[in-house]
Amino acid sequence: MAEFQYIGKPTERVDALDKVLGTAKYAGDYRLPGMLHARCLRSELPHARIVRLDVTPALQVPGVCAAITGEDYVNHGNFGYPVADMYMLAHERVRYVGDAIAAVAAEDEESLAAGLAAIICELEPLPGVFDPEEALQPDATLVGEQPWDSPTEPRGNLLVTHIVRKGDPDSLLAASEVVLDEHYSTAHQEHAYIETEAAVAVPWPNGSGVTVYSPSQSPFNDRNNLCKVLGLGVENVRVIQPPVGGAFGGKDDQLYQTSGQVARLALLTGRPVRMAFHREESMIFSYKRNPMRVHIRLGADRTGKLHASKVDLVVDSGAYSAITPFVAWRGNIHAMGAYRYDACHVDTHVAYTNNGYTGAFRGFGNTEATACIEQAMDELADRLGIDPIDLRLLNGLRPGDETAHGQRLGDDVALIECLEQVRRVSDWDRKRREYTEKNAAVAGDPLAIRRGIGIASFFHGLSLGAEGADFAVSTIQVHDDNSLSLTSGVTDYGTGSRTVFTLIAAEVLGLKPERIHMYRPDTDTAHDSGPTVASRATVVGGNAVRVTAERLNSVLVNAASDLFGCSAAQVLRDGEFFIGPQEEPVGFEDIVKHARKIGLTLSARGRWDAPNIHWSLESGTGKPYFAYHYGAQVAEVTVDMGTGKVSVVKIWAAHNTGTVLFPQGILGQLYGGITQGIGYALMERVVFDQGYIQATNFDEYLIPTALDVPEIEGHFVQKPFSAGPFGAKNIGEPAMVPTAPAILNAIYHATGRRIRDLPANLERVLLGHDLRQQGSDRACKLGLKAG
Amino acid sequence: MKIRFTLNGEPVSVEAPAHISLLHMLRDYIGLTGTKEGCDVGECGACSVLLDGKLVNSCLVLAPQAGGRTVVTIEGVRGADGGPNDLQQNFIDHGAVQCGYCIPGMVLAGEALLARTLTPTRAETREALSGNLCRCTGYQQIVDAIEATAAERRSGAAGRSTAAEPVAQPAEVVHG
Repeated sequence: MAEFQYIGKPTERVDALDKVLGTAKYAGDYRLPGMLHARCLRSELPHARIVRLDVTPALQVPGVCAAITGEDYVNHGNFGYPVADMYMLAHERVRYVGDAIAAVAAEDEESLAAGLAAIICELEPLPGVFDPEEALQPDATLVGEQPWDSPTEPRGNLLVTHIVRKGDPDSLLAASEVVLDEHYSTAHQEHAYIETEAAVAVPWPNGSGVTVYSPSQSPFNDRNNLCKVLGLGVENVRVIQPPVGGAFGGKDDQLYQTSGQVARLALLTGRPVRMAFHREESMIFSYKRNPMRVHIRLGADRTGKLHASKVDLVVDSGAYSAITPFVAWRGNIHAMGAYRYDACHVDTHVAYTNNGYTGAFRGFGNTEATACIEQAMDELADRLGIDPIDLRLLNGLRPGDETAHGQRLGDDVALIECLEQVRRVSDWDRKRREYTEKNAAVAGDPLAIRRGIGIASFFHGLSLGAEGADFAVSTIQVHDDNSLSLTSGVTDYGTGSRTVFTLIAAEVLGLKPERIHMYRPDTDTAHDSGPTVASRATVVGGNAVRVTAERLNSVLVNAASDLFGCSAAQVLRDGEFFIGPQEEPVGFEDIVKHARKIGLTLSARGRWDAPNIHWSLESGTGKPYFAYHYGAQVAEVTVDMGTGKVSVVKIWAAHNTGTVLFPQGILGQLYGGITQGIGYALMERVVFDQGYIQATNFDEYLIPTALDVPEIEGHFVQKPFSAGPFGAKNIGEPAMVPTAPAILNAIYHATGRRIRDLPANLERVLLGHDLRQQGSDRACKLGLKAG
Repeated sequence: MKIRFTLNGEPVSVEAPAHISLLHMLRDYIGLTGTKEGCDVGECGACSVLLDGKLVNSCLVLAPQAGGRTVVTIEGVRGADGGPNDLQQNFIDHGAVQCGYCIPGMVLAGEALLARTLTPTRAETREALSGNLCRCTGYQQIVDAIEATAAERRSGAAGRSTAAEPVAQPAEVVHG
């Protein structure tokens, strides 16, 4: 492996100092002169027509400075991608409990509350639909105004369908010696970023424009929405991303609404406006991970060789589309797992309901799909009497294989290496054998503590895939004090990408990272690079930084060759020194001085476009991603057979990350992803009862604490990836994808009980079913009136 | 009402309503925003401060309850040069910081533990952090950072300087 100066070495995260000192300013920390406080009136009904809405009484309340509705925006504030079905404030009807109806800005919290209470809002309840399969019935209540319908093709609540098609799985399944046919389901999951949403808008002089500090993941999407609904040009709206207190996919669509609300209120009042959410409101109004119902059929011969798969997915999008069509697409693409099949069909249906809406969450459809297919593989191994790792080694994708989509894979595939490594480091074979024997010995003891070990492996398409245009842009500039500033349109919401970008630029330029100041994401200084989702920062954003730094480097080398009177190829480097044929080292600062003297411009801008991909929605075939991340995780658990309590004892992870750029960062991403996977496996489920969310704070919605998380051992298969910056792949989402099924498979190994519906909470492990709910909490905890 | 107490080593007097929380007073009446609100019900620990050396959720403490007592917030945890102290530097060095929102509370939870013992096991450290939620890091590098600091303080290797207010008595972890 190539020797690097900065890459792969221990490094300080560029924003860590402010964060440990408590001086980092998050959006909710802003306190500006004259700043107003804002909040929304929200629906307490899951589905209703807005019969009457009058905000003028609020304006009579002392201290209230502005009150707005959807009519304060262009085209009622309509926005959304890929389906424009949302509004900055509800238009004519509300579709879920928490839907924003009106917004008020006031001098203080007391007048704000009084202003909200003074709004006249009459809602006429409409029947709702809360089950995605019921929503797809022909006579189902419609959630929206038939958003995707055309006169010739009524679609009802069907948001979108996706397919994968290879061969004829039905005939192969009929002929298979062993067939698995099971149903699985996954639950709504709350992102549970510790920082709730907040946004601050600061108007420009004379109402000429507005700056919004918004912790959304994608400032350019945020800005473009603002321009559209406010009727302003891109030069009149600036969005700056302050430090983001966690996002995980969860800080986009709802923050676009918040941004739009504070921006309009700031423009109306001419004063800064801040809207910051308490946890209850955050959990009620924000989107969740999509729940999925998954029907899997696998056909194999007695040796374990897979021949066919058929997978049906039903996805609940809730009240709005948000990014769910793409989430479902990724789930659709990965639904069969990282295996070779002669034939495979996947059919995905996405439905609107009047539950809270859903959207992006780490893993983006693949976390859900892998939770199901990896349990199915475990069940198949059990029926065949084959070790689960052996079954995966037999069928796992290898370099040059053809996927179920008809894609021929390259030489970067390392699934087998990951499986072999995790088998070795977890001492799999011995533990599997010993625990099986020990569990059998205590089979009659209802209070035994049993032990199990389980595996899951997976692939995860890099970056956006056929979800959208895939590129990033960076700029770099040398300043008079010989420091450099670097920008990227790809953002950092705690993931560490600003540090990764700094390291890539430092490595390319041969300059110390301390010289380079990576700017915060800002639509006025950076260039649109698409959304920061889909683990695309390192590969797509990183390549843009590499290209940009290479351009600046060529300027410096030109200056050096002019100074040395030699060709560019003769210029050598030693740290920050440039060395010519006379072997006289000249420092970076003198090269900069010379470059200026001969009139060279010391700045550069570069763009990187991801390799071509193609996907046919009609035929269900193509090349959905330019490459994939591969990996495998093993979980070891104990199960208290008397209480159903599952403890995760240890997790071993092996991931095909290519070159590791930022060691502490990649481990942090791995540990954090696995921790969210532990929550997903064992405790996390947002329950909607007839559209009413049942848990609205951390006393009722539990996420893993330091005591729920074991020591994690991470291994990286650093097979360099030719299309990645310095050979790197991504890690953000993949870290989480296989954790839950590895734990569920370990629970099965310990108990013999297969829990096909996530999460495997106490009662499901102990009893095999949910305890009946003792009543439901239909009270909307917002404390706002429904009219 | 007038609330007088010692904040990060300095005597302060704050005019604030009697019904608000210590968290609210710190953030909105004193302007120290390093102490974060995550849940406001005592579950997440983002608002952790040291009250007379004890780790508390400041969202569960009424502002007047701070009267006559000592409060240490993240702004009071500094090294001798005004920069990060040894624990904060170890958070940086061990990659324990991602989004950073829980980190002020985590640092104070770490200080409360280290004031009690310089030989915590990893399990004891996890127990001490169990009232502080983190959604990014998986806790492991935070445990690493506290473990490394404990070792350094045991050997006296690091320029020892912790909270501005010396912790007078062994701290107890108080969860909401």
